[in-house]
Amino acid sequence: VNEAMRDWAANPDTTHYVLGSALGPAPFPDMVREFQSVIGKEVKKQAAERKLDVEALIACCGGGSNSIGFFAPFIDQASPRLIAVEAGGIGPGVGENAARMTGNASRDGIMHGYKSRFLLDEDGQALQTRSISAGLDYCGIGPQLASLGKSGRIEFTSALDQEALEAVKFFAKNEGVLFAMESAHAGAEAIRLAPTLPKDKAIIINMSGRGDKDVFITSPVFRHDAWLEFLHAEIERLESDKDIHDAKIMN
Amino acid sequence: MEKIKLMSHLVAGYPTDELSFTAAKALVDGGADILEIQLPFSDPSADGPAIQSACTQVLSRGYKTSDGLAFIKKLHENFPQVKIYLMSYASLVYTPGVDDFCRRASQAGVTGMIIPDLPFDCDEGLTSSCKKYGMDNIPVASPSMAEDRLTKLAECGFNYIYASLRTGITGTETKIDQGTLDFLAKVGKGGSKVYGGFGISNGEQSKALASSVEGVIAGSVFVRLIGANCADKDALYKAVRAKAEELTHLR
Repeated sequence: VNEAMRDWAANPDTTHYVLGSALGPAPFPDMVREFQSVIGKEVKKQAAERKLDVEALIACCGGGSNSIGFFAPFIDQASPRLIAVEAGGIGPGVGENAARMTGNASRDGIMHGYKSRFLLDEDGQALQTRSISAGLDYCGIGPQLASLGKSGRIEFTSALDQEALEAVKFFAKNEGVLFAMESAHAGAEAIRLAPTLPKDKAIIINMSGRGDKDVFITSPVFRHDAWLEFLHAEIERLESDKDIHDAKIMN
Repeated sequence: MEKIKLMSHLVAGYPTDELSFTAAKALVDGGADILEIQLPFSDPSADGPAIQSACTQVLSRGYKTSDGLAFIKKLHENFPQVKIYLMSYASLVYTPGVDDFCRRASQAGVTGMIIPDLPFDCDEGLTSSCKKYGMDNIPVASPSMAEDRLTKLAECGFNYIYASLRTGITGTETKIDQGTLDFLAKVGKGGSKVYGGFGISNGEQSKALASSVEGVIAGSVFVRLIGANCADKDALYKAVRAKAEELTHLR
């Protein structure tokens, strides 16, 4: 975030700030929400067509572009529940997560050109964050999300790295979809919530990204030995200039 | 030729407490009228690589706001004839509370505050807290500001305005041309005294600026000299003092 702002500040005549999250100075958070709201509008339309009784919308939340866009058309109505899931990382300790709303190092602050909730020390220095998902690993959160969290319209919760990994596995096995590590945090919350609801209620999860990009993170966890063997074989193949058709394939 | 007024910038605690004091002494002996002391911040959005890496290095020692203020107090006691301005970012001012921060700064001997990400028209009470404790809020004007906003700033009645002579980040060369002088005239139109800087590194530049400003600001040039001479205290003193003399035309 910092580097993008810096480059923009240095070249304002030839570049424009298009940070991919609902952050930064006004009016950028509003613009990003508006653009991202296509997904929320589509969800609203399809849910009505199918006459779904929607209990909750669940989205993961780093800076918050996917969640604020997903929630946008529902913010001004009392239901459904809107649930945002932060990165719980490896635990509740300072530096172990990226929980700006539910964490214990969370403060009101001003950074990167906007005022919101941040993970800061008592002087105001940004704290280290940690998450298995790069997209949630950020010390701030979009200001509108923080405000709606405070008012209670959006409920904030968090999922640990481990819970997100389990969600990836669960949805791959049972639904045939491969969640990105980010979105899997929303999946993890859905797994927790679903058993508490009657069968005719619907939960809609925003699968904001695909897990293909995460194979280097998930494969060593799910298939450690086979992955290692595959990587060795690949190195051997590249070093010996062997054609890919003759490569040893992971099975 | 008359001596040129110099506001020289230092990162508090860089590279060590002892050597940053040596650098301050060299600046004062070299003719600096104002020491602009930067409290290192984790995410310095307006700074280029030289100052950014200096800040990171100081913070990695666990440097706190209280350490920076203690350093300022020491400078104030040793060089009572020199004005001290504190430069930092909104997060360090806002997190502990603007009023509390200003009170502590003034007790340490600060007489002016330069907080680039608390703009004059959205300052979280910085100007009034500064007044309360007998300090000046010195807002930053930049060439990328819209004409009407720049006019508004110029007519706000600030005693001093910090004119960044170029958009972007600190530490890259600035050419002093007619455009620069026109910009300075606009900033000073309402009667505020104007300090001008950003990318000032030699005596020729400071001479070109001198008649259009209350004082010339130089920062990254010193940070680089300090970094290059941090192994040798005497060499550091000599290099910094010589550069200050060049910029003030003392020699």
